[in-house]
Amino acid sequence: MMDMKRSLLLFFVIFNSALTWAHPVIYQGGWALNSSNMPEYSNNYVMYSFTQRLALGVDHWRFSRDGANNELGLVKLNQLLWRRNGTDSQANLYLHGGLGVEDREFGGDKRTRASGLVGADVDWETRSLYTAAKYYQFQNSYIAQGRIGFSPRKAPFEELQTWFMLQGMVIGDVQDRVTLTPLVRFFYHNVLWELGSSTRGEWMLNLMVHY
Amino acid sequence: MKKMLSLILLGFSLNALAADISVKVSGMVCSMCAQGIKKKFAPETSIRELRVNMDEKVVTIQTHEGKDLSDETIKKLIQEAGYNVASIERK
Repeated sequence: MMDMKRSLLLFFVIFNSALTWAHPVIYQGGWALNSSNMPEYSNNYVMYSFTQRLALGVDHWRFSRDGANNELGLVKLNQLLWRRNGTDSQANLYLHGGLGVEDREFGGDKRTRASGLVGADVDWETRSLYTAAKYYQFQNSYIAQGRIGFSPRKAPFEELQTWFMLQGMVIGDVQDRVTLTPLVRFFYHNVLWELGSSTRGEWMLNLMVHY
Repeated sequence: MKKMLSLILLGFSLNALAADISVKVSGMVCSMCAQGIKKKFAPETSIRELRVNMDEKVVTIQTHEGKDLSDETIKKLIQEAGYNVASIERK
């Protein structure tokens, strides 16, 4: 029975996923709402952190190419595998996975089927520097992203925080090139929002709320 | 008799003092994430005021008069918020 439980836990740890640029697992008992949007993709999810290391939620993805959409709806589990709380920094390693349904239109191949994804992301940040890298493997595609950023001012806890960042992203099955997007990140109390425009003029709008 | 009364009064006055606790927290670099600390401590009725100082990485807790918050409770709540307690100092 114990082996079965361990196997199920391992299965969820390996085969569930999420994508967000803020922490995918937050404080115990916390909810995270996220919406990430660009013309060629969007990702929306709601996650609940059962512990400070484990979050469960629902996740929706849209990828667009040549007027067709590929959409995925997933149940996902995020696992904080490792965290280093330093004196002036924090580093994290997360594993993600999801199981659900894919509605695929790409290449005139219209069909609905079971799907899933696996992923991992790592970040390191101080109060003025930020780096992150993520990789998510879907059944027919992948997303690879990296970010670097800095904050010009170490704002106090209750004040608006501002970050300037550069994001590089490749979406397999959609793009055959790296999309570079300079962006501005703001957060105030429990709300984070990001505005950006890629070097090809594609807009980016992201929003996250913790409560 | 006077001594006894003085001791009793002293005991009452000490009990009536509020605790002023400084908690040094490791890894507290993101103020949005640190909102979780406020959330985790919010149900604690013994707390009168909680302040987060990102520069010093310190959470300052002031309790209501006659109330206290144990080190174990503080460590547990900080951990549930995703951080580690480096030290706890009481004034």
